[in-house]
Amino acid sequence: MSDLTADSPEGVLRPGWSARVDDYPIAGGWTLRGEALVVGDAAGGVYAFDGKSGATIWAQRGVHEGGVLAVAIHPSQPVFATGGQDGRVLLWSAAEGRTSLAVDVGSGWVENVAWSPDGKRLAVSCARQVHAYGADGAKIWRSDDHPSTVSAIAWSSPEELASACYGRVTFFDASGGKPGQKLEWTGSLVSMVLSPDGDIVACGSQDNSVHFWRRSTEQDSMMSGYPAKPSALAFDGTGTLLATGGGEAVTVWSFQGRGPEGTRPGVLDLHAETVTTLSFARRGMRLASGGRDGVVAVWSLGRGGKGDAIGAAPVADVVGDVYWRPDGHALAALDAQGGATVWQVMARA
Amino acid sequence: MLAPLLQEDNLDKPRNIPVTILTGFLGSGKTTLLNRILSEEHGKRIAVIENEFGEVGIDQALVINADEEIFEMSNGCICCTVRGDLIRVLGNLMKRRDKFDYVLVETTGLADPGPVAQTFFMDDEIRAEFALDGIVTLVDAAHVEQQIGRNDESAEQIAFADVLVLNKTDLVDGDAIDRIEARVRDMNRMARVIRSERADVSVDTVLNLGAFDLDQVLERRPTFLEPEYPFEWTGVYSLDAGRYELSLADGPDPAMSLVIVPGQGTDDAALRESAEWCVRRYAEPADVVSPAGEIAAGRHLSLQLDSPGRKSFFLAVDTQARVGLYAQHSAEEFDLQLTRANGEAVPAEVERTWVAQHEHDDEVGSIAIETEGDVDPNKLNKWLSELLFERGVDIFRMKGFISLAGESRRFVFQGVHMLFDGQPDRPWGDAPRRNQLVFIGRNLHEQSMRQGFEACLI
Repeated sequence: MSDLTADSPEGVLRPGWSARVDDYPIAGGWTLRGEALVVGDAAGGVYAFDGKSGATIWAQRGVHEGGVLAVAIHPSQPVFATGGQDGRVLLWSAAEGRTSLAVDVGSGWVENVAWSPDGKRLAVSCARQVHAYGADGAKIWRSDDHPSTVSAIAWSSPEELASACYGRVTFFDASGGKPGQKLEWTGSLVSMVLSPDGDIVACGSQDNSVHFWRRSTEQDSMMSGYPAKPSALAFDGTGTLLATGGGEAVTVWSFQGRGPEGTRPGVLDLHAETVTTLSFARRGMRLASGGRDGVVAVWSLGRGGKGDAIGAAPVADVVGDVYWRPDGHALAALDAQGGATVWQVMARA
Repeated sequence: MLAPLLQEDNLDKPRNIPVTILTGFLGSGKTTLLNRILSEEHGKRIAVIENEFGEVGIDQALVINADEEIFEMSNGCICCTVRGDLIRVLGNLMKRRDKFDYVLVETTGLADPGPVAQTFFMDDEIRAEFALDGIVTLVDAAHVEQQIGRNDESAEQIAFADVLVLNKTDLVDGDAIDRIEARVRDMNRMARVIRSERADVSVDTVLNLGAFDLDQVLERRPTFLEPEYPFEWTGVYSLDAGRYELSLADGPDPAMSLVIVPGQGTDDAALRESAEWCVRRYAEPADVVSPAGEIAAGRHLSLQLDSPGRKSFFLAVDTQARVGLYAQHSAEEFDLQLTRANGEAVPAEVERTWVAQHEHDDEVGSIAIETEGDVDPNKLNKWLSELLFERGVDIFRMKGFISLAGESRRFVFQGVHMLFDGQPDRPWGDAPRRNQLVFIGRNLHEQSMRQGFEACLI
């Protein structure tokens, strides 16, 4: 359980800055080395806040009619992409807040946007299709209709993209869009993460379970018994730990040895309501969690999945998302009141 | 998958955004009704989720088109099937600062209302923010009779409804309308039935139904929860030993069932007790009795009345006693008379009418249970869990209120298939504590459900 004491309720979290956007913040991210925190909101506004001070660098309101749905930060350039209910993808320069390109993807919502790890391609999902573009916004390919609206996309490597929808995960060749491996399972897959090596595919399912596949051995497993649907999932940087929401507790499965099948997961108790978001720091075994209870927590985990809270802090409302600064020394949280809150994360409390 | 009856988080939770589901076959008038709701001055912010492209005035509300996506679960349970498109769209709607006062979901004509309704019980995030307020089903009076016969969906849309709008009544003659209304009422005794010509119904009758409020239903039809009996009328006669003539004039049917109860009391409790006994006699094969035949007490009799003119049957009484005549039709309908051997008429000491059983042509029907007394929550949970596990597929809707032992407030609940939601509402105060439950479904067994519930009483 928690090591937190009354003297230091926030543990490793030290207050940094906070800022506000006009409406419910839907998605965001740190640019490059953390120069700015970018946030898109439900009113279709996009904002950039100075990473150190929280001062507004720029704000563009109402750019996505109906609201922003997704934000993806380019892995190596000061560029990011947004998708929205208007069926468009916009490419932005992070420094000036100018859009360099607008792509009309389709008549549906653009709910997922993801850069390939090498930054050469941008994948988006719109209704039942997945589309791939070059870094310049030039269209490369488009998938056929999936059986349902695409719920998640993720790159398994610079050359391969995965999509999740009702009943299956599909892999696509990145250069030509040719569908490859299909992993099928009867159920509505609401979330998906891949291990960093692209071998393990984990999906949260509407029926309150987590399903995962090992692509190399074609072995699959289901972890059930969650009190709610596990929409929050995160792999650590080594692919050893899979943290899952789906209730008030964070459940952590360890893939070391023969696990996680037949092992007991780490159960992290702190949140008083359902966990909404999970994110591992890029290096090390630090996990950040946010919940409907409006609390952000940081956990230090062992390779077996067990661990302790080493920091926790409240925000104004339900936590939408948490984002580690790439260096792991700061953490940002977005809450339902429109707040963006940033803490310094110390090496130890 | 069944949610426990009494959950802590059900107590005093803040009011969620109400949702009305609008169903009905293509051409039943959904779009007309939708336009009507949106164009009326009600000061509410309404979001509409449409599955069919209609001609909705967009100025009045946010209209979102969503493709119907039906998501079944890996366990194969149809009661767990949800609408994935609604989860996505509503999940997004609740993130907007300019919150909506109301959400309307219009389904496609052939939609099964189950998955739509279940979405509001099954998905934890949706359930946290929204509450199913009611299901409104538009019925095309001119075509519904063919539709019920041809499509399961049509019967299910009727069975699921809290409000049935019998639309296009101007295209059908009055007798047909009465017949259609009787038929849909038989299928769904819980719903309010409204007749309209061009979906011209008041917005109040379809929004903010407070779908729980059985009291309203009872106000409209006080006999709603009374059990149905296979007989309509009882007369109690005080008889001396002797021979009596029971005579009947021409009436509406060629035969009439009758049970004579010896030693009948005159108070209501005694009448009800005998009524239950007679239900069992009525279930037995009848003795066919032709005119001038002898009639015996304690048997299910079928009096043959197809010959013209007044017909007489004879009853022998050994010792002085009261007898109760439990007749399939009222005494008036056949001008039923009991006379002594000397021709002197014997007046009934007490008469009572019963809610007569209707002919249930349709598989889909309603069961209502009403009892006084407190319920043991554990027994109720167990009974409901078992009932819904076994029959959840066939139980479309249920609602009601319950007097839980040790709870000062009424416990109100509603459910869809095997999903269940309930919470305490107003205090009982001085009102008599009682239980009222309604189930609507396919081929439900009234007797066993009634007994099952009664076994939960303390």
